[in-house]
Amino acid sequence: MREFIEFGIEWLPELLMGVPVTLSLWVIAITLGFFLGLVLCWARVYGNLFFYWISTAYVELFRGTPMLVQMFFIYLGLPHLGIVFDAFTAAVIAITLNSAAYQAEYFRGSVLSVPKGQLVAARSCGMTQWQAIRYIMLPQALRRVIPQWSNEAIIELKFTSIAYTIGVVEITSIASDIGSRTLDFFMVFLWAGVIYLVLTSTVASLLGLLERRTYVPGVTNV
Amino acid sequence: MADDLILDVQDVKKAYDGLEVLKGIGFGLRKGETKVLIGPSGSGKSTLLRCINHLTVPDAGRIYLNGDEVLDTNIDAMRARMGFVFQDFNLFSHLTVLDNVRICQIKVNGTEKAAATQRAHRELERVGLSDKADAYPAELSGGQQQRVSIARALAMDPDVLLFDEPTSALDPELTGEVVRVMQQLAAEGMTMVVVTHEMSFARQAADEIIFMEDGHIIEQGPPETMFTDSTHERTRAFLNVIAEHG
Amino acid sequence: MDIYDVLLRDFPFLLKGLGVAIVLLAALLVIGFVLGMGICLVQLYGPRSRLVQWPLVLYERIFRGVPIIIMLFIFFYGISGVWDISAFGAAVLAMGLRSAAYQSQIFRSAFQSVPAGQMMAARAMGMSKIMAIRHIVFPQAARHAIGPWTNEFSSEIKETSLAYVIGVVELTRQAHYIITSTQGNVLTVFAVVALLYFILNRTGNSLLYALERKLAVPGFEK
Ligand SMILES: Nc1ncnc2c1ncn2[C@@H]1O[C@H](COP(=O)(O)OP(=O)(O)OP(=O)(O)O)[C@@H](O)[C@H]1O
Ligand SMILES: [Mg+2]
Repeated sequence: MREFIEFGIEWLPELLMGVPVTLSLWVIAITLGFFLGLVLCWARVYGNLFFYWISTAYVELFRGTPMLVQMFFIYLGLPHLGIVFDAFTAAVIAITLNSAAYQAEYFRGSVLSVPKGQLVAARSCGMTQWQAIRYIMLPQALRRVIPQWSNEAIIELKFTSIAYTIGVVEITSIASDIGSRTLDFFMVFLWAGVIYLVLTSTVASLLGLLERRTYVPGVTNV
Repeated sequence: MADDLILDVQDVKKAYDGLEVLKGIGFGLRKGETKVLIGPSGSGKSTLLRCINHLTVPDAGRIYLNGDEVLDTNIDAMRARMGFVFQDFNLFSHLTVLDNVRICQIKVNGTEKAAATQRAHRELERVGLSDKADAYPAELSGGQQQRVSIARALAMDPDVLLFDEPTSALDPELTGEVVRVMQQLAAEGMTMVVVTHEMSFARQAADEIIFMEDGHIIEQGPPETMFTDSTHERTRAFLNVIAEHG
Repeated sequence: MDIYDVLLRDFPFLLKGLGVAIVLLAALLVIGFVLGMGICLVQLYGPRSRLVQWPLVLYERIFRGVPIIIMLFIFFYGISGVWDISAFGAAVLAMGLRSAAYQSQIFRSAFQSVPAGQMMAARAMGMSKIMAIRHIVFPQAARHAIGPWTNEFSSEIKETSLAYVIGVVELTRQAHYIITSTQGNVLTVFAVVALLYFILNRTGNSLLYALERKLAVPGFEK
């Protein structure tokens, strides 16, 4: 225990330098994934056959294959077609594309769970389809999706550690680097684990707060 | 203890966090008797019934079934000898009607499968549901589900059947089919304790009516006297309310 | 040699890697199932004492809050410090214990979605608590669990790829070997690897759906 704490005092500052990298990777990717997910969801629920098939294939493909392979494909594979990204950008793209597929599925589930009568009522009071979606459907669907969405966001936060494999200098990568310098991989990864645990718990409580703040009786059940 | 009593309940008490719900209840049941338990909401009828088979463990008092005391140590065996019919049926929802009626015969009583099947079919016929043996509970109406749950209890060959408001979760038009089954059982000599607001059943099938209020038995007697010239103000008031609304 | 000849020549290695991934998957799911079920039963039916319940909550929090890559490193370096464990062994352990944390929660909510009246009716008929759990509650909980369990199965397939980071020679690492040894077209190799994962995922999912349909009972469809 003492050894653990001393190790922490010596190396924690360097490890913590990875936190902003991890967090920005995560925030950028899930935000982009949010909008791409909405588009994919729209294509699947309201799109014509063409859009339906494209988005379904996309979702199936990205949910059916590992994030690690997706990241390698983008970072190591695409350069063979002359498309080159730096490691951070490649990681953002991979996490965005992967997360969008999951977010789209959760959005779809919650959109389908909003009673049909809601849209009918909106149209019958004169709203256009777009207005009905924007003002009636989305506010309800987004509230309902918060618990699943929070889960997904936390999964992606943990998945940012995969970016280490292509050399993004985030928490895991710095830990591995310190490990090879101190030859005490066990200690340094324990500390990395503690940092991730604090991050995921904090995010979980913040999202829990969001869920309670947006609570409307009858729309969500908390 | 009177020697010919099937069920003998002596001075049962129960409190929930200081709230005394049963304040010393005693009554007995001879073979073939039907007693109907009535009383206002919250008077402790369900609690009493559940104390009899220890679904709720009483704080004090004794309960004998056919001379054997019901204890925590022998409770599973004693429960197998007492059928319980719930207000909301509680049929095992992953099992067909036939399996619902068979499973406890086989697993609890150790009956051979063939014999259990035969018995199950007989009890289903008794409640008029032979044709539903392969259906699942979710495919039945409430009245049908309650009849299956009666068949499930009967198949265990119980010494006594306990009913806790068996019809109050049912629409009025489905109540009749369940009441008819219960009347038939009473007529065939089944020993039963029934909590119900169905006064037609009480009038017709009960050997005795027990009126409970506030954790006490206020009055008991045959339906003729209870309905016409009850000596107690409270009983009369309660029966008047039931007559108007129920 | 062009990439297709390389792929043809090295395809047996990919299959071997796929085999390792499948064994890893099976082992971690079994550990996760047994341990997860144990945790769930203790949480629901075990002693309510905080001394028992608290460690279980902590266990779940930790294994669900830390990225699997970090856990793999912690187990690999932590155990190999005291005992000679293979990378594969460490991966089975780390991923199995983690899956237990997820599976216990799946089982717990499945058990909790069985109405209390079912247990009560079983006990009222004279079943012991254990009999009632085995014959009445468990079969119903299993039907509730199978959908979420299929999701867990899917995500574990994909996460086996992460055992790559501690040197388990599974599918993704085999792909890496092929790429470094041939300088071939990385894109095609990863596409083939992705396809193999996709097929594995799809096959597993269809088997589980088939099981779900086979067990289907009116009143349990969601
Ligand atoms: N598990 C429990 N914990 C605490 N209080 C309880 C519990 N069960 C019953 N009670 C209380 O005990 C009293 C008697 O309840 P009981 O269900 O036996 O009444 P009842 O006569 O069956 O009423 P009803 O006609 O409404 O079914 C009520 O005040 C009730 O709130
Ligand atoms: Mg009651």
